[in-house]
Amino acid sequence: MRKGLIQATDSFERIVHWSLAVSCLILCLSGLGMMFHSLNFLGEPFGGLKSLKYIHNITALFFILALFFTVSMWWKEAGVFVFPEDLDWIKCAGGYLWHVDKVPEVGKYNPGQKMFFLVVAAGGVAMIFSGLIMLFPLHIPAMIVRLMYLIHAAGFVAIFAFFFIHLYLGTVGSPGSLPAMLTGWVSRPWLKKQHAKWLKEMEEHGTLVVYGEEKSSSHGHHG
Amino acid sequence: MAEYVKLIDVSKCTGCRGCQLACKQWNAQPAKQTENHGTYQNPPDLQANTWTLIRFQEIEEKDGKLKWLFRKDGCMHCTDAACVKVCPSGALYVTDIGTVGLNRDLCIGCKECISACPFDIPRYDRKTDKVYKCDLCLSRIKADLIPACAKACPTGAITFGEKGKMIEKAYARAKELGGDASVYGDKFVGGTHVMYVLDEKPGVYEHLPKSPSVPLSVILWKDIMKPLSLLAAGGVIAGSFLHYIIHGPKLPDEETGQEQKGGE
Repeated sequence: MRKGLIQATDSFERIVHWSLAVSCLILCLSGLGMMFHSLNFLGEPFGGLKSLKYIHNITALFFILALFFTVSMWWKEAGVFVFPEDLDWIKCAGGYLWHVDKVPEVGKYNPGQKMFFLVVAAGGVAMIFSGLIMLFPLHIPAMIVRLMYLIHAAGFVAIFAFFFIHLYLGTVGSPGSLPAMLTGWVSRPWLKKQHAKWLKEMEEHGTLVVYGEEKSSSHGHHG
Repeated sequence: MAEYVKLIDVSKCTGCRGCQLACKQWNAQPAKQTENHGTYQNPPDLQANTWTLIRFQEIEEKDGKLKWLFRKDGCMHCTDAACVKVCPSGALYVTDIGTVGLNRDLCIGCKECISACPFDIPRYDRKTDKVYKCDLCLSRIKADLIPACAKACPTGAITFGEKGKMIEKAYARAKELGGDASVYGDKFVGGTHVMYVLDEKPGVYEHLPKSPSVPLSVILWKDIMKPLSLLAAGGVIAGSFLHYIIHGPKLPDEETGQEQKGGE
């Protein structure tokens, strides 16, 4: 760690994030193995497709747990839009798609991240609900069960596509973002560019944690 | 190979259930202890080890007389088989005589076929975690024998033969019976490989859908969502790449002043 870096996430956030990420990835891969005949071979290392089914079902339990913590931990910060600044941000797409002279400053999560969070939360719940019915379908009308398969597939379309957006914007698409979820420490210029409002808030509230310094960098202002 | 069809002429069925027994015998399926629940239909429903079943049904005719209907239920062997469409492992497959085979070694017990089947045929066995259904005695057909049920039928209600000839025979029999008699099976799901000559209207028979089809949700799921998942992900990957080379990544502004003091 380098002096001057700022803590963006605590270890609990990162553990929950990666629990969700890893379980989601295993679910996607094992699901793909069952979805496409041409990917059936993904079950081979585990002794066949039936093992893939068990991996999928058991991983789902971890996913449920991880999603529970994800939503309860982040919904206040990432699940609520703040107007009008979030709307202004959406209008200029956060400066991601075309040149914008001045992108509205955002807090800990920008509206794009909030939308991503909502898709993960709502999509995750839909996947869990439909998946549980698919797992225990025998006493439920076939029409309902078939609908669950459709929901499960639609959820996968969204989550699989969003996964790659997330991957891009978390790495090469936005350099400096990845450490926020790896070590938790980000650079001040990155934070100023990406979440200026949050930086200001933390400075004002004296909650800014800077590596190599005493807990608050704003003790000078607030005393 | 030519397509083959099993034709069930319910007007000739006496409800002896010889076919049920022959099916169990050939496929080495044991019987389960059962209970009398006020009908000769026994067991009460298709089971993981009962792949064909005579459904007993009493109806009242116009003149107030009672009529007893016997219908041999079991896999219809659809051409457009919803079960084959949804099966993730390829355990369910279309054989080269047009029937729907089941390779039990491949079955992973996901039960997707159970909800997809428009005829409610496949049955799940918890003990083996696999699904079971009639395979039209594929092993016998391959050995140049007719299915066990057809072989056992004492009245000629169940016959087996080349598809075109059986359809011809079915229509001739329906015409001969007259009245409400009709042929069931050649008009939907691409044509079934088990067909009926029904002497009542199809709607009269219990557990027999009037116009079965591959469910819409199965079509949306397999023909729309499945390719869409790859298209969407591919589009996003391509879009991200284009974004990177056209718009470029979002970089923090140049570091200024005090920020640099900690430099590498």
